[in-house]
Amino acid sequence: MNKSRSELGQIIRGIARDPLGLMGLIIVGTIVFCAIFAAWIVPYDPVAMNIQARLEGPSLAHPLGTDQLGRDTFSRVIMGGQVALKVALPAVFGAMAIGLTLGMIAGYGPKWLDNLLMLLFDTIRSFPTVMFALAVVALVGPSLQTVVFVVMATSIPTYGRVARTQTLTLRNSEFILAERSMGASMARILGVHMLPNIVGVLAVLAAMDIPTVIALEAGLSFLGLGVKPPTPSWGALLKDGYALIRQTPWLVVGGGLPIILATLGFTFLGESLRDVVDPKLRKQR
Amino acid sequence: MLNFAIRRFGLALLILFVAVTVMFLMIRAVPGDPVQIMLGPRATPELQARLTAELALDQPIWRQLVIFYTNLVQGDLGIDVFSGRSVTEIVFQQLPHTLWLILAAITWSAALGIGIGAYAAAHPNTLIDRITAAISVSFVAAPAFVVALLSLLIFAVHLQWFPAIGAGEGFWGRLNHLVLPAFAIGLSWVGYIARLVRASMLEVMGENHVRTARAFGINERRVVLVYALRIAILPVVTVIGVGMGFLLSSAVFAEIVFARPGLGKLVIDSITTRNYPIVMGSVLISTALFVISTALADLINAWLDPRARAAK
Repeated sequence: MNKSRSELGQIIRGIARDPLGLMGLIIVGTIVFCAIFAAWIVPYDPVAMNIQARLEGPSLAHPLGTDQLGRDTFSRVIMGGQVALKVALPAVFGAMAIGLTLGMIAGYGPKWLDNLLMLLFDTIRSFPTVMFALAVVALVGPSLQTVVFVVMATSIPTYGRVARTQTLTLRNSEFILAERSMGASMARILGVHMLPNIVGVLAVLAAMDIPTVIALEAGLSFLGLGVKPPTPSWGALLKDGYALIRQTPWLVVGGGLPIILATLGFTFLGESLRDVVDPKLRKQR
Repeated sequence: MLNFAIRRFGLALLILFVAVTVMFLMIRAVPGDPVQIMLGPRATPELQARLTAELALDQPIWRQLVIFYTNLVQGDLGIDVFSGRSVTEIVFQQLPHTLWLILAAITWSAALGIGIGAYAAAHPNTLIDRITAAISVSFVAAPAFVVALLSLLIFAVHLQWFPAIGAGEGFWGRLNHLVLPAFAIGLSWVGYIARLVRASMLEVMGENHVRTARAFGINERRVVLVYALRIAILPVVTVIGVGMGFLLSSAVFAEIVFARPGLGKLVIDSITTRNYPIVMGSVLISTALFVISTALADLINAWLDPRARAAK
């Protein structure tokens, strides 16, 4: 426990030393903080309408103005962060867990199973993501769960492939051979010895994947096929902003900037994390 | 080479077969009557009977699959029940708009990305290298539809430099209408390709033939542009092949934001009107396009670099 805590500290210090990493850390930290304490931060109820104050520009009372129903854009942006993370985190961790399991099975199991799983991964990857998402939404209808499912389904292959490659490399390493010759069970070899060596790489992938997921959620909500109104999602803000683009620029700005910031933050953090956790990866890409 | 080509296309066909079958089963797996789902609120007994017959829903599932594939290899994706036109015809009518958009985006982003990457690699670890690196990451991070909206806001609505909607008429009109959407979906590729070319350039710059070229006293500009870049460009070919899928996805948003005709607009419109055969047909065609372009990229790569053939 003590050891892992100091390791975590070391990783964070390593990231903070890199200027881009530090920027990523600050941005992501702010977003996470705002998402957790959103209910206390927002100056207005994000779904409360106020017809007298429609489509106002930025002012002291409304830092980012108001929308066509007089709802405070700033409050909706803050709450939107919560929605974005609610989709991104379960989707990314779910995909990572399933991809890790399948990838390790593919790498360690019999050849036919490996071939089958790889074909499955290749097949999922052969759908253009948004097209696949649209097909699923058309079938089962738009909702937060649909978005999470689509994101998970489409990103499992990435984690699976990396986990498989890592497993294949480790499979013939000496400490695994030693463990096998002593009669360790497969579960023990995979769970105790291989897992810790694979999880780090996948964590880096996950950090870099979060922005893609946030963008996909926002994109689907923008098309009106993601989270349903009046839930304040960044994509929904952009949808309203697009409809009113000739009346006010502030909805597009208010919905667009947080997405760009979040993407930048997580990307910087992911890149920096990669360099700290595994400098070798930098070359592979 | 021929052997590799046959194997690679065999794999592509297999993947496509599995993907299409998965899609086929997905529709059948949704709870409820598929005919009811496809027709939505507009279901009349007459339309229902017609669609049931067309999809052979009264037959066992394996027969349905056989019928579906028999039609598919003949290029028949079914009939749009509302307009009575063939789905294939409708999809292929919209496809060229999307392909031009993707082509325009690839062209400008690859040209600029290769330029930036090569320049950065020729001056590694200088201030300019660092600035381009930071800009590249930021470009990669910019989601296409946000860029599309912001550029619509700035360049079309406020500055009014470019048109906001439609695909335009005539050559110059079309080109003018392509600028903003192609900019929006290409931007993240500039960064991606720049980083790729930089990394691959740095590797190539250390290779023997570059050192030999330098030892012969060939000037640095020529060494970089002719001897190194030619090889360093290889990974870009593969990435562009894979990029087709991403660009297809981004194109959906660009077409909506700029109200352009195309595959994405067709799919979204069909989802809102619950016209399922068209959604299915468009997804199928775009998937096929993606699988084929990935396979083609692998082939070109194998042709350019014999080592890639052995590795597969």
